[in-house]
Amino acid sequence: MNGLETRGKTRIVLWALLAAALILYGFPFIYLLLTSFKTPLEAISVPPEVLPTQWTLENYVSALSREGVPAALVNSVVTAVISTALSLVLAVPAAYAITRFRTPSGRVFIVAALVTRMVPTIAVGAPLVEIMRNLGITDTSFGLALAHTTISLPLSIWLMASFFEAVPDELDEAAKVDGCSRLQALWRVVIPVVTGGVAVTAIFAFLASWNEFLFALLLTSVRAQTTPIVIANFQSQFGLDWGGMTALAAVYSIPVILLTLFLQRHIVAGLTLGAVKG
Amino acid sequence: MESTTKQSPTGAVDQTAPGGPARPSERRLAASARGPGRPRTRRHLSDRAFALLLMAPAGLFLAGFVLWPLVRFIADSFFEISPIAGGPRIFVGFANYAAAFASEAFQNASVRTVVYTLIVVALEFTLGLAVALLFSALGSRSSVFRTIFMYPLMIAPIVAGLLWRFLLIDNFGIVNELLFRAGLLQSPDQVHWLSDPSIALFSVAIPDIWLTTSFITLVLFAGLQNIPGDVIEAARIDGARYPRLLFSVIIPLLRPVIAVALIVRGIDAARAFDIILIQTDGGPQGSTTTLSLLIYRTMTRFGEPGLASAMGTVYLIVMLAVAIAAIALIWRPGGSAK
Repeated sequence: MNGLETRGKTRIVLWALLAAALILYGFPFIYLLLTSFKTPLEAISVPPEVLPTQWTLENYVSALSREGVPAALVNSVVTAVISTALSLVLAVPAAYAITRFRTPSGRVFIVAALVTRMVPTIAVGAPLVEIMRNLGITDTSFGLALAHTTISLPLSIWLMASFFEAVPDELDEAAKVDGCSRLQALWRVVIPVVTGGVAVTAIFAFLASWNEFLFALLLTSVRAQTTPIVIANFQSQFGLDWGGMTALAAVYSIPVILLTLFLQRHIVAGLTLGAVKG
Repeated sequence: MESTTKQSPTGAVDQTAPGGPARPSERRLAASARGPGRPRTRRHLSDRAFALLLMAPAGLFLAGFVLWPLVRFIADSFFEISPIAGGPRIFVGFANYAAAFASEAFQNASVRTVVYTLIVVALEFTLGLAVALLFSALGSRSSVFRTIFMYPLMIAPIVAGLLWRFLLIDNFGIVNELLFRAGLLQSPDQVHWLSDPSIALFSVAIPDIWLTTSFITLVLFAGLQNIPGDVIEAARIDGARYPRLLFSVIIPLLRPVIAVALIVRGIDAARAFDIILIQTDGGPQGSTTTLSLLIYRTMTRFGEPGLASAMGTVYLIVMLAVAIAAIALIWRPGGSAK
């Protein structure tokens, strides 16, 4: 700690402030969870109550048995897994080359990856509709995963480049002296050292696909529809089924929230890496 | 940046590869000379070619699925296109751009995009910095709370948008109800968060702020940990009180970190789509129609892909220009970033 810490009475005030901030910050999702356990009617009662008067799983049963919902959950997982795998396969060698060989092409490449982040999704998404149609992969999880990779790949390259930066060059050199080829040095010596970084990158690539909406809206219609689209449709398709919406939203969000809690140390590292190193 | 920080200290080399010609500079020399003396390496490719080979798959992917669509998108902006697949395309030069700039909808949406981005970034920064300072003041025992604070980052924007629409909805929204019970409102129906055109643009920004303030907090907190203790100690000894310490010491030292956090969030906020779409669909009376929504609608609902592409191209160019200018300002090569 570096002298920004306080002691004494102010500390108590600060803890109280923090508690207030956390309650405010946590309330929206807690209210979502509480609503999901109300009856569908109570979920939209006037005036609203915070706690359910009668706890029930009705919303979960109805939301999960609704046509298209189980399929959408499966599609979300399949799309995110394909996209994550593809991002890693493409990003790891590219990031390694950028950090190790420092060629002008590598410098151009990493700047290009950064610029990709600034492109409005619609500018890529709209033409992709026709490109996917020409490739015959409209409304497939694979096609959507390709589109999601356009978001996660630049991010993955940046993250992996930061992790490779932290590995000393001497490690690869030693491996080569011991008779490894350059590819073997990467695969057998360097990658095992950065498995933590690969895991962080995988989480971010997975989340990018899991939470994505616009590509899914443009590129899927029936077969490959992912859960965010189905959640969004709850309002129009089924009238105002807020109870069902909250249940499905909870089912969709809780796995990734738990993931955060378990892997928070790594996730913080990934989030703050680029920004703090400057 | 890389070449200076990466030149390795000689000591470390000697540890890992005693006596071997393992330093990067020597390796490059050896590779280019292809001379004898390195009999163990079977090198068919130069390092440069090898690097290119490793980057090629990712490069080809980005070329095929980002660059090529973008080229087509920009090309479309010069055509009048029938929305029906396979319909006629007529070259119209800059007519779509003229139409875009003349359209009031485009001008208003541009202003709204700027306002929305400023609201999001300003509030996220203020709240994010306040919480980061709070965490620093409380020290290591706040770590559990830092984790809890992070949870909205993982939630899908579409879920956040719907959730807040539910919280703010006119007749049975819990926010108004709680404000009413706390005595802050005369009736639970007093504030029409999402249906009053004069405040809707602010209301739709709330979920975005809720979702990503923790990102700013995390980044600034990490930056705060890197401030050397003696700097703060020195300021304290000089009698600086907290506000002065904050504005004259902490914020200037955090400047590069703040800038990166704001740029990242600014870009994302300016591109916000689903979070607004799901709350208001651009309404009421178009008061929350930002550029991304306008372009999407012009393309899909109004069936004018050419005009939408022209609007999108302008949007793209402005985004790139602003972001590159901002990055150039922070990343002054060899500047004060370290």
